[in-house]
Amino acid sequence: MFSHARRLRWSGEVHGYDIKIEGIADPAVDVGVPGGLALVGLVDRMVEGDISASQRARATVLEELGAESLVDAAAVFGNFEMMNRVAEGTGIPLPPQAVERQAEMMQTLGLYDMVKSQHI
Amino acid sequence: MVNDRVTTMSELANASVRVRDDLIEMEARSFAALAAPGDSLSGEERVALAEVARGLDANGRLEEFARHLYSNPATVAAEHVRKAANDVGDPQTVETIGIVARLSALDRLHTVLGVDPEPLPTPQPGPATGKITRGLKRRRGHVPMPPGPIPVSLDLIPSEAEAFQAMFGPLYMTEEQMGDPHFAREPGLNTPQLETIAARISMFNECFY
Repeated sequence: MFSHARRLRWSGEVHGYDIKIEGIADPAVDVGVPGGLALVGLVDRMVEGDISASQRARATVLEELGAESLVDAAAVFGNFEMMNRVAEGTGIPLPPQAVERQAEMMQTLGLYDMVKSQHI
Repeated sequence: MVNDRVTTMSELANASVRVRDDLIEMEARSFAALAAPGDSLSGEERVALAEVARGLDANGRLEEFARHLYSNPATVAAEHVRKAANDVGDPQTVETIGIVARLSALDRLHTVLGVDPEPLPTPQPGPATGKITRGLKRRRGHVPMPPGPIPVSLDLIPSEAEAFQAMFGPLYMTEEQMGDPHFAREPGLNTPQLETIAARISMFNECFY
């Protein structure tokens, strides 16, 4: 996730967005991309698995961002379900140096201690 | 819009939600690859694993592993993978990881869009090809793989690795698109929006890359 958070910050700056990276860990904080709360809400409701809440979240993305954006969101969601299963199944290790390299991002998201305890 | 009358991706593409052609084509290729003989498993075995992953009763360690990885990946530990590998072999286990992971992507794509998962394909006849990559080591992972990032981790089974890597572009971004911070699907989401979703999902999955 840290590589994606870094890519969000990097590409968001290029687009001129005021990125609040802590919104990745805290859904109450708007990340700062157009429709960010709707996109995070879609992910959260799908993960929770409540059908009617998921339908509402889907409708919000459709209303705020359009049908093509919903398709893109569904696709990228699928991609990371796949990547997660490959990572868990193969046990591909997180390089020890990655923890230190991404320490600043981990601390911003409040996850440094947890990641360090799991991977060092 | 997405509604009860729409039940498949093909129907969805014909409805008012336009599904990109590259996604439709990717899905067709992916299901064709699932049905074909793999490098260590036959087409029949591959489709059977996909059926079990989706909920059919599991019979044997490899099928139990397929079901576990599909339904609850966060609880998959080294011991689960090793038990399957000890029972059937590393190649069959890695091929199963690829099948389950790719099926998870396609099924999630459907559920987010509010449509039913695609029916599984009819298995193609013929034996496994036997083209297994030699010389890979287990290193610190659960299965033999070359050093490198997640995209190379299925390289023990070349056909499965190829099918896996072919899905990145349509589902997320190609390597070239990832290098361009201005990349945007038009109409659709741009890089910061795509990365917002990627980061949030990865946080839920505790995928700390």
